[in-house]
Amino acid sequence: MLVQMNRHIATLIAAALMVFVAGCGESLNSSFVYSEQTESLMLEAQDGFHKGDDDLPGAKDLIDERFGNPQSLKAWSKLPVDFGGVTGRVVETPDSKTLILNFDAELPVQTDVPLNLQFVSGPAATIVVKIDKLSSGAWAASLSGNLETLIRAHNDNNQGEDTKSIPIAGDDVVLNDDVKGRVVATPDMKTLTLNFDEEVQVQSGEPLMLEFVTGPAAEIVVEIDKLSEVPPTASLSGNLETLIKAHNDNNQGEETKSVPVAGDVVVLNGGVVLQHGRGLYMRHCSHCHGTSGDGNGPTAQYLVPRPRDYRQGVFKFTSTNDQAKISRDDLHRVLKNGIPGTYMPSFVPMLNEDDKHAVVEYVRLLAMRGEFEKKIGVELSPDFSKAAVTARIEGGESKPEIVESLREFLAEDMADSLEFVSDDLETAWTTADTDGAVITPDMSRVPDSPESRRLGRELYLSKGINCADCHGIAGKGDGPQTTIFEKNPVTQQLYDTPGLHDVWDNVNQPRNLTRGIYRGGRRPIDLFRRIHAGIKGSRMPSFKIVPHEQIWHIVNYVLSIPFEVEPGHAPVVNASAEATPQASL
Amino acid sequence: MKKFWALFFFFWPVVAIWSCWVAPARGWWFPTEAMSPLGERIDGLFYLILGIVTVVFIGTQFALGYVLWQSAVKGDDEKAEFSHGSHSLELIWTVVPSFVLVFIALYQMDVWAEFRVQSFYPNQTQEDGPRLELTARQFEWRVRYPEPGTELKNQPQPGDLYAVNEMHVATGRPVKFNLRTDDVQHAFFAPELRVKQDAVAGLIIPVWFEIPKAGDYDVVCAELCGWGHYKMRATIVAEPQRQVDEYLSNLQSEQNFDGVVTVDDEDE
Repeated sequence: MLVQMNRHIATLIAAALMVFVAGCGESLNSSFVYSEQTESLMLEAQDGFHKGDDDLPGAKDLIDERFGNPQSLKAWSKLPVDFGGVTGRVVETPDSKTLILNFDAELPVQTDVPLNLQFVSGPAATIVVKIDKLSSGAWAASLSGNLETLIRAHNDNNQGEDTKSIPIAGDDVVLNDDVKGRVVATPDMKTLTLNFDEEVQVQSGEPLMLEFVTGPAAEIVVEIDKLSEVPPTASLSGNLETLIKAHNDNNQGEETKSVPVAGDVVVLNGGVVLQHGRGLYMRHCSHCHGTSGDGNGPTAQYLVPRPRDYRQGVFKFTSTNDQAKISRDDLHRVLKNGIPGTYMPSFVPMLNEDDKHAVVEYVRLLAMRGEFEKKIGVELSPDFSKAAVTARIEGGESKPEIVESLREFLAEDMADSLEFVSDDLETAWTTADTDGAVITPDMSRVPDSPESRRLGRELYLSKGINCADCHGIAGKGDGPQTTIFEKNPVTQQLYDTPGLHDVWDNVNQPRNLTRGIYRGGRRPIDLFRRIHAGIKGSRMPSFKIVPHEQIWHIVNYVLSIPFEVEPGHAPVVNASAEATPQASL
Repeated sequence: MKKFWALFFFFWPVVAIWSCWVAPARGWWFPTEAMSPLGERIDGLFYLILGIVTVVFIGTQFALGYVLWQSAVKGDDEKAEFSHGSHSLELIWTVVPSFVLVFIALYQMDVWAEFRVQSFYPNQTQEDGPRLELTARQFEWRVRYPEPGTELKNQPQPGDLYAVNEMHVATGRPVKFNLRTDDVQHAFFAPELRVKQDAVAGLIIPVWFEIPKAGDYDVVCAELCGWGHYKMRATIVAEPQRQVDEYLSNLQSEQNFDGVVTVDDEDE
């Protein structure tokens, strides 16, 4: 009996242990993949030269240096990505456990998030310390009188009314009838620590009158002699000197670090946004879009159309002109509305604003990484891809000669290329978020009418614009272009399948306009932008040379196609949107 | 040892009864109180059945416990009694439960009909017709409203308004909508309203509910539909009719937005 019981118990214990051994927490051991282009470079170009005196990074090193891996992302500050965190400077180091800092931006309100401070420059660069407590944004007010005396005087003068007493933390105050705030502390009877809700402009000469609004001292007014800002003070959870000594001991052979000094740049909670974005992306996006944003996650093979491959830096449904990248607003729109007619769902209400921001930043990072890799590849491929090397050897050069020329290139020319590439990235992605990049029609939409639609149909069929060539006479997406065999512009090889192909080498089926499904949005402005900028990455070309009035006629026609009885004939039912479009966003 | 096991197997049913007793107060059963009148009646049925079943449970567990205990107490020496069965006992324990079950079946019929049989839907929903069409697809809920002032048609109309994952309905009166699916089977499940209906490919299924209190109510998918089933969520925004109209009017403006913001409008 007992033996039987022991056996059962042993099985139970073994089962429980398995959970601990196998683990039930997150294990994100993933790494970014390199593109085909990178993998088809000659090996020395991929890996660089690291033997002996050489320290020339190859393509893979360059990418890893700037972007890292999902577990250890790098924050390359040149990129216009919100890494999260607040930059600041050290003002003073009063002792080994306290730092007085100055921050460039407002500090985040969350106080329960663990606070990490990383030194970016100076003697302690790269060291990260944990902050126990961060006090911020307070003002120290020295009063011209003594609080106790003032309050007693007030009470004596106003017998019969409420007796007032010393203000306490949390009491609301108003400065000069203008700026609202509250009491943080009353260190002594001549000093108050306050927090204000808005900017305080301290003008010399102007009397500063502080009125208590709520609390034990309500209605009492005191005069402030001096009002000075108390810079944020960080109390560290460890001792700076000890931490730095430990770091030095652990990293023998590297630079010795020492205590930070005034002026050193710091980052508070750097990378928070990206970390959050990474977590969300891996959980919700990576199964289709892949760990590296290559559109090749585990479920991608079952989907038509394929999930977006971000690595070209190209996104289809944008509000920006045909030369510009996608803007943050556009990415937010995609998350909010999904892409109807595809497998991209809406992620609202699942993601809140902060979540969406984090995911958008992470996706932009992946896109920039892919683009960076592509541009590096473009610099190296013509001369140093495996195919090019084979051709050069056939042409008479020897392998050592080629390797030497690569070494020279990496040593001398690569730096310039890198600068050019990174400037390019920075400009392109920053411009995309400016108002100037957004396509705005120069006239309101031509009111929808049978006449406008007829004009639209004429333009649709016209030789100059020729929508029917791809979209078909009836708008069914079966135009003559869908039957041709075309060449891949990069490899100059014929595609296996007939029809048009996009930059991701997928078959690009022209939209069937009779279905009423508009992937990039069904608002008139969305259709206008599709026509004006084309659809980047696809074979829908840009028609920006077409006058905007004509584009509106085409838009009116396109919106009516699903309700046509026969192609080119106005629908029997009255279309709506007769009302003048009102502005909204 | 036998006594130990007899008590052991009697102990757990007691724990079960205790947890059923305290569950409603501790919120172990339902996410919230039912937020719709029909939901309240469904909850009532649930508690009725729970009560009946508990009484039966206590009876049978006591019987089982008694039998176990007697066996434990009697020891190994006594021989078992052989019984040829008892016809009257078998009659009783067949007829009585069947009466109880028939009672339950008849008692709940009106709630079932009101929920599931179209001709028993509240009159108002027959008059008003469907307010919107909800199309489930992997992994989102697409909403189509008819143009304000018109009736919803099964075929999309030029003036229809579209939204995703958010349905706005009026409070205080029964609201009906059409449920469809674009691909595989999904199920519309609003837990707080106690409404659940499978969406079947090829069918357009009218579903109704009434929400007295304004607020946001969760919708989740309740039929496994793929890898994204767990995150297929939507929100029902229940608000006064006036606000629903306002929302639809804004949606219409948004859907007709032509990208040009005139100076007059900026001043508004």
